[in-house]
Amino acid sequence: MKSIWTGSIGFGLVNIPVKMYSASQESSLGFDMLDKSDKSNIRFKRVNEKTGKEVKWENIIKGYDLNGRYVILDDTDFEKASPKKTKEIEIDQFVEESQIDSIYYEMPYYLEPMKTGIRPYALLREALKKTGKVGLGTFVLRNREHLVVIKAIDDILIANRIRFAEEIRKPDISVPAATNKPAELKMAVALINQLSGKFNIAKFKDTYTESLLKMIKAKAKGKAIVSKPLRVAHVNTKDLMEQLKASVEGTGKRKKAS
Amino acid sequence: MPSRIKKADETDTELKVGNTKVALSNLHKIYWPVEGYLKKDLVDYYVKIADYILPYLRNRPMSLFRNPDGIKGFGFYQKDIAGKAPAFAETQKIFSESTDKDVEYVICNNKATLVWLANLGCIEMNPWNSQLENLDAPDYLIIDIDPSEGNSFDQVMETAKVVKSVMDKAGGTCHCKTSGATGIHVYIPMGKKYKYDQVRDFARVLASLVQEQLPDFTSLERSLKKRGRKNIYIDFLQNSRGQTLASAYSLRPKPGAPVSTPLDWNELKKGLLPTDFNIKNIFKRLEKKGDLFKPVLGKGIDLRKCLTKLGA
Repeated sequence: MKSIWTGSIGFGLVNIPVKMYSASQESSLGFDMLDKSDKSNIRFKRVNEKTGKEVKWENIIKGYDLNGRYVILDDTDFEKASPKKTKEIEIDQFVEESQIDSIYYEMPYYLEPMKTGIRPYALLREALKKTGKVGLGTFVLRNREHLVVIKAIDDILIANRIRFAEEIRKPDISVPAATNKPAELKMAVALINQLSGKFNIAKFKDTYTESLLKMIKAKAKGKAIVSKPLRVAHVNTKDLMEQLKASVEGTGKRKKAS
Repeated sequence: MPSRIKKADETDTELKVGNTKVALSNLHKIYWPVEGYLKKDLVDYYVKIADYILPYLRNRPMSLFRNPDGIKGFGFYQKDIAGKAPAFAETQKIFSESTDKDVEYVICNNKATLVWLANLGCIEMNPWNSQLENLDAPDYLIIDIDPSEGNSFDQVMETAKVVKSVMDKAGGTCHCKTSGATGIHVYIPMGKKYKYDQVRDFARVLASLVQEQLPDFTSLERSLKKRGRKNIYIDFLQNSRGQTLASAYSLRPKPGAPVSTPLDWNELKKGLLPTDFNIKNIFKRLEKKGDLFKPVLGKGIDLRKCLTKLGA
């Protein structure tokens, strides 16, 4: 597993050097976009708005529109904006986790202590467990500031990114008032109680992806299957080899001539 | 015996390299905090490795990647050294199309320049693939095998070996080194006979052939998002004018102070780790193995013959 961030957790006078790893992974199937007519892969191009010509990645830079004029920024500028926050999660406050609404939660990350961080890591973990609280702090990852909850689960510390207040929309939907009959409410409560149990995530499986994959495999056995993109790549490779050979032969001739 | 920094208590000093004096500064700055290696260790390393690394830097423009506050500090790229290079450092102005102006590059042709670069905080040495005499024709082709977080180094080695097997089939040689970070670089000598675009096209051909053989965990997709976390990126795009990669024997600004280390193909065995070779233990290995990378600068492959053997 490759760490996505290295830095430290700052907590009072204690500094804990850690590596951060992504704690989640995608479980959905990936689909390729194809042209209906010949099943070629669809490619996206980044084009210059003026010339319409494709622009290479290496020639693409980032600019911020400041009152109609672009200010150009490079990687070092992003770091310079907040040198401390790019390398440190400063815990400003500890709160009860139940006070944080689930609407704020985003990506979870695992935190691994580096050599010099082993003892302070354990210290923070045990202190969090003892108080039943979680830490709140901010740091910068990939040019963006994030708010995180630091909490202890078993032997590890987890940083869970949470949204800032301004990232949550006002509920601009309509929920007209309605009255409940006491008997109905009583029944609904009874139903909830009947279906209540202990939370066990292992009981829930992503069955849609599974059945989708089954369907794809079944379709592949039938005749509707379309040639794999790998084969397409092979044709391209072959073409490229021929072109290159012609080009190399050209080079050879020129050399002999000179 | 190579010259060494003598007085341990001096943080700013001068080092005599041959007849040249190189000013050194802040030698006590911590560069690798976990290991406790200082800037002095960095300078010492390049003093000692000079004879090995200089052949791979000679006559090549360098992109400087400076980490003036060590590996945990902020690193930045610098190409243009105009007005800043000392008299003993060679430089060369090269016109840059993207910025429409001349860039004055450092050419690291002597030990003094190498030491000066180390003192600038260059942990990594990043030379062009081509030399001043013919900047458009690289000495070698590079396949950069770059794993994602879901890949093991065993998979990286397997991919490198498939590059080797394709080159065996093509009747050409190739050589590998650890990147010093998580990957492996495979170099194929081209002997300055072909232009960058031809070399890059051949690299693309190789990468596609390798990818076809290892469809389960390799990809030609640069973007991590599209490639997913379980695929190694077989990068054939390191073969362009002006592009640079950490050279053989370059240190990397990573924990443990790893060195990009040339390997024998039979060393690619389960259990080998890219972090096995570092600032401290590399010298013992070099005494035993010598410079395994020499052929990379030697006779190039015959591209036409290779393509024919691959079926073109």
